[in-house]
Amino acid sequence: MEAYIYNLVNLIAIYSILAVTLNFIMGYAGIYSLAHAVFFGLGAYTSAFVAQNVSASILVSFPAAMLAAGVVSLALALPALRVRGEYFVAASLGLQVLSVTIYSEWKGFTGGIGGVLAIPPVNILGIDVFRPAAFAILSVTVLVLVLLIVNALVHSSFGRNLRAIRDSESAAASFGKNVPVIKTISVVISAALAALAGALYASYLSFINVESFTLDTSVLVMAMVIIGGTGTVAGPIVGAAILLILPSVISYFDFLPQTEIGSLQQIIYGLGMTLLMIFRPGGIVGRRSGT
Amino acid sequence: MLAIQLAITGLQTGALYALTAVGFSLIFGSTRIFHFAHGAAFVIAAYFFYAAFGAGWGVIPAIGVSAFGAVAFGLLLDRLVYVPIQRHEGSFFTVFVASFGVGIAVQNVIGMIFGRGYVTVNTTLSRSVEVIPEVYVSPLAWIAIACAAVFLGGLGFFLKRTHTGMALRALADNPELVRTFGLNPRAIQAAAFAIGSVIVVPAAIITSATTGLSPAIGHHVMLISLAATIVGGIGSIPGTMLAGVMLGLAESLALLVVDTQWTEAVTFAILFAFIIIRPSGLLGRATAH
Repeated sequence: MEAYIYNLVNLIAIYSILAVTLNFIMGYAGIYSLAHAVFFGLGAYTSAFVAQNVSASILVSFPAAMLAAGVVSLALALPALRVRGEYFVAASLGLQVLSVTIYSEWKGFTGGIGGVLAIPPVNILGIDVFRPAAFAILSVTVLVLVLLIVNALVHSSFGRNLRAIRDSESAAASFGKNVPVIKTISVVISAALAALAGALYASYLSFINVESFTLDTSVLVMAMVIIGGTGTVAGPIVGAAILLILPSVISYFDFLPQTEIGSLQQIIYGLGMTLLMIFRPGGIVGRRSGT
Repeated sequence: MLAIQLAITGLQTGALYALTAVGFSLIFGSTRIFHFAHGAAFVIAAYFFYAAFGAGWGVIPAIGVSAFGAVAFGLLLDRLVYVPIQRHEGSFFTVFVASFGVGIAVQNVIGMIFGRGYVTVNTTLSRSVEVIPEVYVSPLAWIAIACAAVFLGGLGFFLKRTHTGMALRALADNPELVRTFGLNPRAIQAAAFAIGSVIVVPAAIITSATTGLSPAIGHHVMLISLAATIVGGIGSIPGTMLAGVMLGLAESLALLVVDTQWTEAVTFAILFAFIIIRPSGLLGRATAH
């Protein structure tokens, strides 16, 4: 039971990092990305590669993951500068599909479909962290750090610029805001922080493969943000916790087909998203009137 | 010879892409509703046909069941989800998320009923015949191309010559003016959903006999529909058709240089190039903003 709870805490912390970072660009900059799992995956693969070949120290593998995701996110920032709304959804969907192909094919880096095995545990000041309880401290700490960074950004002038761009790009530009630079920075920050979730995930499970970084994951993270409340501080974490506890709740009800837990979970959050949009577009935590 | 073979296969794929994408393009162009569940309409049409045909209902009744499923889905979604949302706001994001949620639910319900693996409808029509030396074409390829010609031609005629068609185009241009002329925008919107959903039926059925179906095919359908709509130019039905055929041909001809798993990457590269260089698309006039 204890192990189960620690495991759940770790997963909630990791997915909360993804949801918080996606909310950063979705809720504050109006960039609706269906490609967040790409950076989750890139962070995981990069930190696994570095941990196996260079050093498993948190001071080496985690920054490497952030750097890789930050650089690759420029591929997502490029269309975000040109277009918004439906165009960007299409571009990010395409990037997600393309990345899954690359992750499945680039065997030297990702191990192909088989994935990467025996990833060494993350090393902090000479101590290997791998027990679920110890790891929970690490993952929650990283989550808190990410929250602090995002919160500081949102409440700075940078955050005000982002909201101005979300509400009216041309108005922000006419006030002399450098819209392309602000948007690019926000995408890069979001991707780099999302890579931390990937690095945690890889070292926690010590095994990763492409299954964890598909469109389904991007969709799940987006559902967490939306159900919790887009553009709120607590929303993404509430959403992540609800959606990750959902499978256990389903297994509690005997009359539901237990072999279909994954499908039931997706049906529930799919319909949940639809109903929220009809009756409460702001999400669970969000304001009643929506955005 | 390989190039000719691939070009014919590409034309078949392109015909199906055009038929799939044009429904989304019609709905999005005329109502501005980002109907992400269009992929779900395709999945429903395809699996309804698969189930009815598999139960021994014969081809014509199975096509009827399939068309009924797609149209009922489109109309119900419009009535129960989009209309209530439009009543209070209807920003792009709200509509997209609601539609997206329905798509996820449909994919998983279908997956629970029919299984998540690939299924195929068995027919002798998918057996390839050697038409000229070393070029093999199945009768289904000709059926796909003929269907595309008939349905897309019919749609073009409908939009140009009938009252409903003209009203649809008017709705795309100016919804307020439509109301001023005493037409009911909501009824026209319902018509857009009925037509946009029914036109995926031929593509869904032919796909079920050629490449096969899986519940997750809806995402692929959406990627193609979005790509064709954007590459063709948002609001331009002929542009979408052209782009659909072009994407099919490009995916197929790309096999001359790359392996099959990269075909979606080709679509993405074309889409990406258009978004960066020419967001207004092939035949579009409006810009992205």
